[in-house]
Amino acid sequence: MLSFLVHWIASIPSLATPYALAALGLIISELSGVLSLGAEGLMLVGALGGVGAYLVLGGYPLLALIISMLAASTVSMLFAGLVVLLRVNQVIAGLALVFFCQGLTNLIGTIAGWTNHTIAGLAAVRIWPMSTDHRPSGVAFAQDPIVLLTVPIFIFVWLVLKRSSVGLRLRSVGENPEAADAAGLSIVFYRVVAVVCGSALVGLAGGYISVVDAKIWVAGITGGRGWIAVALVIFARWRPWRALWGALLFGGIEALIPQIAAVGIRLPQYFMLMTPYLATFAVMIWTGVTKYSSSEEPAALGQPYVREERR
Amino acid sequence: MLDETVSRSPPSTARSTSGAYRLLQGRFRLEVRQQLPVWQRVGITAGAILFGLVICGLILVTAGVSASNLVEEFIIQILFDPQNLRAVLFQAAPLILVGLGASLAFRARFWNLGIEGQMIWGGIAAAATSIYHIGPDRLRLGLMTAAAILAAMLWVAIPASLKLTYRVNEIISTLLLNYIASYFLFHLLYGPWKDPGDSFPHSSQFATVERLPDIGPHLNIALPLAISLVALAWWLLHVSRAGLHLKFIHANASMAQVLGVPIKTATFMAVLLSGALSGLSGLVIVSGMEGRLTLGFYEGYGFSGILIAFLARNDPISATIVAFLVAMLFIAGQSLQIFYQIPFSMVELIQAIIVMCVAASEFFVRHRLHWHS
Repeated sequence: MLSFLVHWIASIPSLATPYALAALGLIISELSGVLSLGAEGLMLVGALGGVGAYLVLGGYPLLALIISMLAASTVSMLFAGLVVLLRVNQVIAGLALVFFCQGLTNLIGTIAGWTNHTIAGLAAVRIWPMSTDHRPSGVAFAQDPIVLLTVPIFIFVWLVLKRSSVGLRLRSVGENPEAADAAGLSIVFYRVVAVVCGSALVGLAGGYISVVDAKIWVAGITGGRGWIAVALVIFARWRPWRALWGALLFGGIEALIPQIAAVGIRLPQYFMLMTPYLATFAVMIWTGVTKYSSSEEPAALGQPYVREERR
Repeated sequence: MLDETVSRSPPSTARSTSGAYRLLQGRFRLEVRQQLPVWQRVGITAGAILFGLVICGLILVTAGVSASNLVEEFIIQILFDPQNLRAVLFQAAPLILVGLGASLAFRARFWNLGIEGQMIWGGIAAAATSIYHIGPDRLRLGLMTAAAILAAMLWVAIPASLKLTYRVNEIISTLLLNYIASYFLFHLLYGPWKDPGDSFPHSSQFATVERLPDIGPHLNIALPLAISLVALAWWLLHVSRAGLHLKFIHANASMAQVLGVPIKTATFMAVLLSGALSGLSGLVIVSGMEGRLTLGFYEGYGFSGILIAFLARNDPISATIVAFLVAMLFIAGQSLQIFYQIPFSMVELIQAIIVMCVAASEFFVRHRLHWHS
């Protein structure tokens, strides 16, 4: 039982990290008022960019993860241009972005021959003194550097959003663009920067899945985790720390699947694979049924701002 | 919070942060158009599609398909080869159905992104009717159709009722239900329904009575069925009372509420019909094309349905025309896959690029740019 618990807990962080990073990135862009449904696609771009950079540049995982972030940010500029400058419907643009990225990553992965190459990835860091070989809890304290970086990233983003004037302006752009515009803030500038910075984190989440966790690229490797992250943001009601707890919850549910199989309990495989989606669905219903007022949903979320149409 | 913003950020400092955009903005003035002649509107859209196709062409040339082959594959092979033309007609039926389904849901302002999940349930219900030999042979195909429609309607009723009662976001819920449906399909095809003959992950072949009847060489009843449903949908949307209600809801839901339009009922019915059409599309593929339940028979149809409805502005007749064009794209995509090893998801990429271009062009439909020299 103890071994089951330790192994289960040890495998949670690496499954929760992509959800947490992607949700945080989405929160940044959605607080500026841009509904970002394209997370699934941007995660794929990050995942392919990371593995591609790893294979081409000769095996530097941290550099590969930076390329993941840059790749997703670059592609997100297309999305930002569409929804912020050209005021395209954000649902249509987000969906088109997902399928654009699915097609593009599949094509590039096939042509460049990056598919099905296993890579060494990023080694785990042992947290001394908790992680030693002869303790049963040792595995739980050997985590990779990105897992360890996630909490500082959350603290930093939370400080910027909540405690800095930049964050305040960003939220005012998402809350009431008319007033923010009248106050002299550039809606276009804040929204584009929010989308690009948020997408860097979404790309990091994708790069983490391929470079650190799976250590391979195959087409569609993210398998709907981008959509789960979008749902997670709604569940977290746009609050970063709630998103982190939500990510741990989803990671915990996903981590149970291999552990149950390892113990020897035979459950139909495909029903097990359904559980993350079922859990997300259940959480969405729960969020819908329980309504309370502490949501930080930006009032102008999903609405393009057109100064010329200002009332 | 906003008062604080105003006091803490005087306009002069904030303006300087976006120099590049201001510089650009100084050069032109934006104006909202009050109206636009139809020919200009059509011209802008056609220009956008052409622009998108040029980008797709450039991508394909980069991917190793020479430009002359591109013209050969996309235009000559498809329009002038009778076999390929028949394949396009064959392919068009399920695409028309998903396009109609998406249009109906979008008219009720419901983002039905679960078309693929509804197709899967349509396919599963049809295959179950076949596998368990439900009903006499004469009625089998009718029962399969009814089962497919019913199963898909039940599946779409979940996100529809959750949205209408608890405001659960249907964009996410319908997409999540797609994953759940596809894993259930995998479970059936890798497990109890695996073909005992060759143990591949597909169901055993349907009997002749369980397949859609042919009405000509390589053409079955699916296309006439789809076309007659287009006529029905046109009547529903443009003549019937329900269509008028949907127009109200689409234009201004709160106004419709005040005027006494039964918003919830009309939305729910439109979404159920959308699911029914998706389920029927699943049946058309399973029983009319594949002849058995296969893995991934639904792939690509969900986004195509959305694209068709978007480009056709949710109009049934335009949707039919767009569906034929998408069918050509599907056939071209299949030959690109076979002859140039380009993944079939290239079709998704092309569709996404065209959606982006057309959506971006709406900006020029709605706004006029005045340039200063």
